[in-house]
Amino acid sequence: MNVPFIGEVPSDIVVSWIVTVLLGIFIMWWMTSRRKWPLVGEYVTTTDNRKIGTMYILLAMVFFIRGGMDAMFIRTQLAVPENEFWVFQSQKYNEVFTTHGTVMIFFVAMPLLIGLMNIAVPLQLGANDLAFPYLNSISFWLFVAGGVIFNMAFFFNAAPNAGWTSYAPLATDTYTTGPNNNYYIFGLQISGLGTIFTAINMIVTIVRLRAPGMKMTRMPLFSWATLITSILILIAFPVLTISLLLLTFDRLYGTSFFLGEYGNPVYWQHLFWIFGHPEVYILILPAFGIFSDIISTFSKKRVYGYTSMVIAICLIGLLGFMVWAHHMFTVGLGALANAIFAITTMLIAVPTGIKIFNWLFTMRRGVVRITTPMLFSLGFIPTFVIGGVTGVMLAVAAADYQYHDSYFVVAHFHYTMIGGTILGAFAGIYYWYPKMTGKMLDEKLGKWHFWLFIIGFHLTFMPQHFAGLNGMPRRVYTYTWEDGLFLLNFVSTIGAFLMGASMLFVAWNLYKTHRYTDKVGPDPWDGRTLEWTVDSPPSEHPFHPIPKVDSIDAYWYSKLDKKPLPSSEEIRPSPIPVKTIQPLVLAGILIFMSIGFIYQWVWMQVIGGSLALGFFILRSLTDEREKTYREEEES
Amino acid sequence: MRKIVMVLGIIFLSGCQMRVLDPKSDTAETLTDLIYLSFGLMMLVLIVVFILFFRFLSKFRETPETRGTIPANEKESKWLEITWTVLPFILLAILAVPTVKATYELTAKVSGNVEETQGDVMVVNVEAQQYNWKFVYENGKESFDELILPVDQEVQFRLTSNDVIHSFWVPNLSGKIDVLPGEETRLSFKPGETGVYQGKCAEFCGAKHTLMRFETKVVEQSAFDDWLKKE
Repeated sequence: MNVPFIGEVPSDIVVSWIVTVLLGIFIMWWMTSRRKWPLVGEYVTTTDNRKIGTMYILLAMVFFIRGGMDAMFIRTQLAVPENEFWVFQSQKYNEVFTTHGTVMIFFVAMPLLIGLMNIAVPLQLGANDLAFPYLNSISFWLFVAGGVIFNMAFFFNAAPNAGWTSYAPLATDTYTTGPNNNYYIFGLQISGLGTIFTAINMIVTIVRLRAPGMKMTRMPLFSWATLITSILILIAFPVLTISLLLLTFDRLYGTSFFLGEYGNPVYWQHLFWIFGHPEVYILILPAFGIFSDIISTFSKKRVYGYTSMVIAICLIGLLGFMVWAHHMFTVGLGALANAIFAITTMLIAVPTGIKIFNWLFTMRRGVVRITTPMLFSLGFIPTFVIGGVTGVMLAVAAADYQYHDSYFVVAHFHYTMIGGTILGAFAGIYYWYPKMTGKMLDEKLGKWHFWLFIIGFHLTFMPQHFAGLNGMPRRVYTYTWEDGLFLLNFVSTIGAFLMGASMLFVAWNLYKTHRYTDKVGPDPWDGRTLEWTVDSPPSEHPFHPIPKVDSIDAYWYSKLDKKPLPSSEEIRPSPIPVKTIQPLVLAGILIFMSIGFIYQWVWMQVIGGSLALGFFILRSLTDEREKTYREEEES
Repeated sequence: MRKIVMVLGIIFLSGCQMRVLDPKSDTAETLTDLIYLSFGLMMLVLIVVFILFFRFLSKFRETPETRGTIPANEKESKWLEITWTVLPFILLAILAVPTVKATYELTAKVSGNVEETQGDVMVVNVEAQQYNWKFVYENGKESFDELILPVDQEVQFRLTSNDVIHSFWVPNLSGKIDVLPGEETRLSFKPGETGVYQGKCAEFCGAKHTLMRFETKVVEQSAFDDWLKKE
């Protein structure tokens, strides 16, 4: 489409410009007429864990719409053979699947889980906030900056196009010129930094701020999963940082780490998967934690095999670092390497199996109450087991020569990522919604959401196993009639639209809940852990006085004994909440600087870099907590 | 659930036509056997989990009678926990042995370890580039996007790329092998039946990755000799 003053622009981008402007005007008008600006002001300057967690989830939902629309475009283009849907062929299709993958992993799954951790973990531990509230706010705004940079690319007709794995040498400037893949690098680099800070914050919170009596062996399993996940992040994400940095140098400054006489494209694959494989466990372990808590709550029983559950999480975390080359079986690493990585990969099935059986036996002899969060957890078990067994099939190195990079793999990882992470995030959102907003989501609409989503999901991805076995490679924008893939793909497309439709029930549910229902009490689900002892939503300093814990699920047993939880006399230092605009400013500076690097405008890099450095110096010399310290000393 | 079973059923009836499960060479046959073995073992696991899941769900679901009851605390049974730790190990061991065996057999053929080719092996050099395939035969004959092979003749491919990473895949005849710039990878198999098979690039390689296909024609030895001599 020819746009005056700008030139030739694909029509999908023009449409998105128009929609964005209209939507922007509408939101501005709505916010002003409803006097919502003070509320926005309060949220962007907050360091409170609940508010930050809520913002994480809200923004993740926005990106979910973006990634979901990409998925719809992909499925529409693939619905029938030799299709030409709108503009989504060739390079444009490559952009769509690249952004779909990257957005869903880094800007949907990660923030959904980190948001839930923010909301639930301090409350489960009896802590008043995360250990470093200011750092938490920085983490969040770095994630926002990364998300903005990555999503901006599309609006400037420069969406990344080398796949979410961004394999060299395709991703080097020799084969993909232009700013496109620079957006990928800087988007991930900056949000990745935020993730590392969150990991540090979670580890310190869990180690230092547990309520008196809550030994590590009495922690709820979601907190345990968060601890192990954070350790994985702390080890894996720096590897991503380094590999992105090397790729930056290859693209911007003409080094040749991944290409040429001394470089090797396989280095990128090693680095990427040394990060990338732990990353999938980073995404699944918190979901495991959520399911453990929910299944135990709604079976009215302690989780079965608590000790083996914890050991299993740790083992999965450990083995997760030893399996990266199973993504590279076809590279030709040699028989020994392939055999070893095949066996370590199979081994992961053992601790995962232990967890599945423990969940099943938690339900046995319990009283299973089927609420929406429980429904999502129940949907998870068969779905994830299907994803797990195809995982073992993929681990058979020689057989993987057939599955590799085919739709079989696509089906497998959607079974684990959606069946595990996304179902887990939905379960967690329905479960902890009272702790976010003080209201309960509607159960009936929640169940509609679940059934449409799960049926749509299986319709979409079950046929893809067979498409892969029939020789359909991934990342292709069309296929022929002779390929014999039409029916499989057509069913898949129908399923995808069903999944999309199920999300409308979420929107309806949110509207209905906030319009027509009242606040609920502290413990709407008859819960077992400490988050259900405080108000819904909790205040910024919820535990006052701090409760004392003497067993797993202490709150549940105190309810059974009809005695309140004992509280501790001990005075403990608490994180100090502050109001600050600094993290938002830092995010702005980093976006500005990144654009300088993406388009290689040196003046912008210099200004952005100096501002960022100035910010660090300023930050090192100020401490917003001083006022509180002084007041404490005086009193 | 019923839908899944239905879809599974329909698709399995047509399963024999699926290219990966319809092997036409010795290598592809090994892979298909492995796929069936792992699928069978995993089905066992799947069935056990599904039975337990639906049984527990129907038996312990809250009813009006059990609404107010609080189930008793139970101690974990050591034997149950040992069972579901040890049994998977045994299943995986059953799977791991043929996996390692096949991986060694096929990879020895695939990777560059074997410097000299023994016996009666035909060598085809493969050059991949965005977005086509060039096949060079022993007598220097070149062919683009069309691979002609004689039936029942062991053939070894030596593959290299002129630009980005590609991946060579003929689902009926063998698994994939990546084609890397600046390196030589190898793959060999012996086609067992004449016919025309699809070949594809399986590693995302750029704008026209989708169109980077080739046709593999397995023909009788005499027809192959005639073709090879033709200019």
